[in-house]
Amino acid sequence: MTGSLTTDELISALSKSPPPPRFRADVAALAIAMAVLACVGMFWLVFGMRADLAGQLAVPMTVLKSLLPLSIGAMALWLAMSSARPEGRVLLWVLALPAGLALLLFGMRALSVPEGQLVRELVGQAAVPCLVSIPMLSVVPLAVGLWLLRRGAPTRPVVSGALVGLAVSAGSAAGYALHCSEDSPLFFVVWYGLAIAISTTAGALAGHRLLRW
Amino acid sequence: MTTAISFSLNCDCPARVVPGTVVRQRAERREAVLGDGTNWEELLARANRGDGAAFGRFLTAVTPSLRAVIRARGAALPPDQHEDILQEVLLAIHLKRQTWREGSPVRPWLYAVARYKVVDAFRRRGSAVHLPIADFEDVLPDEPPPAPLASRDTERMLCQIDARSAALVRAVAIEGQSAEAAGEGLGLSAGAARVALHRAMKRLSAIAVGMGK
Repeated sequence: MTGSLTTDELISALSKSPPPPRFRADVAALAIAMAVLACVGMFWLVFGMRADLAGQLAVPMTVLKSLLPLSIGAMALWLAMSSARPEGRVLLWVLALPAGLALLLFGMRALSVPEGQLVRELVGQAAVPCLVSIPMLSVVPLAVGLWLLRRGAPTRPVVSGALVGLAVSAGSAAGYALHCSEDSPLFFVVWYGLAIAISTTAGALAGHRLLRW
Repeated sequence: MTTAISFSLNCDCPARVVPGTVVRQRAERREAVLGDGTNWEELLARANRGDGAAFGRFLTAVTPSLRAVIRARGAALPPDQHEDILQEVLLAIHLKRQTWREGSPVRPWLYAVARYKVVDAFRRRGSAVHLPIADFEDVLPDEPPPAPLASRDTERMLCQIDARSAALVRAVAIEGQSAEAAGEGLGLSAGAARVALHRAMKRLSAIAVGMGK
């Protein structure tokens, strides 16, 4: 690979090379968050927010529909950034907290839902737009995030890629939630969760190819 | 860098000494610490700020530990590949050195980078683990006599490497001796003969690639 170069020659050559650009986790995290906001903002401009948004913001479940993915996104972004340093600890278990809360909401609604209503709330009216929009909104921020993470040194490229995918798609879901008028946790835990899982998988696959060094 | 201020604060220094002497002694003591390789943090911090000489010293200081790690792990590979892997690790340290955070200890960072690159290097070589041809000589059938043109190519290639390596290759590849027997004639131990043969083969294959173009 390095030909017939001796190690001493290599060290001397490397010491004459200029230092590579710095990896700034805070700058990268901010840039990824901005990319998500830009894409979601354009989505709001084109498709609009839900008409009854002002009134619905007093309903706890509607707020949670945005807040849960937002907290997952923020945690995943932080985890992705710590995974970009070789010695970084990645405390994946923290994601279990919001994920557990989502499952709890799902379970509670499933037990309390009126007879015959369960399947209707589960399937909803807008499952396909949700499944398409959230992954589409995540494409550009995912590319930005992977590109920025290439400057880091992730020793688990698949995990890092998945975390970036999770961060941007959960962020997109939080924004998309302000457009979507399905407020049953039976709907949004399943379909948002599935949409986020699609982007997370895409991030993992891309990380495997792009984040190795 | 060490100034008279820190000198005056230091209470255990002799009372009647010319300040310059103490500063110089101090500087020498610090040099000793750095030369020892105990303060890698300062070297890398200076390197990342653009001090190439400090980076060279850092790499020289960490090389023995890295070499030891690679040797301990790489018993399955011939020693000359260990040096290739070491060079890959050193290159990675250069490319990713800005992911080390100034103020944090270097060793966890360094060993995480080294571990990642060493595992990667062994995995890539895993599909083509080098085994001396002598291990197979009882199993392999005799090769048919080489085509005249091929042997002329071989002679031309052998002219381009040093005489001892050429003699070794001739003895093993063309006259069919074992590496050990051929090495004995040239005053090489069995292990050294195998390594020398491997290196010669690598150089020849590089030359062959060049001729093929």
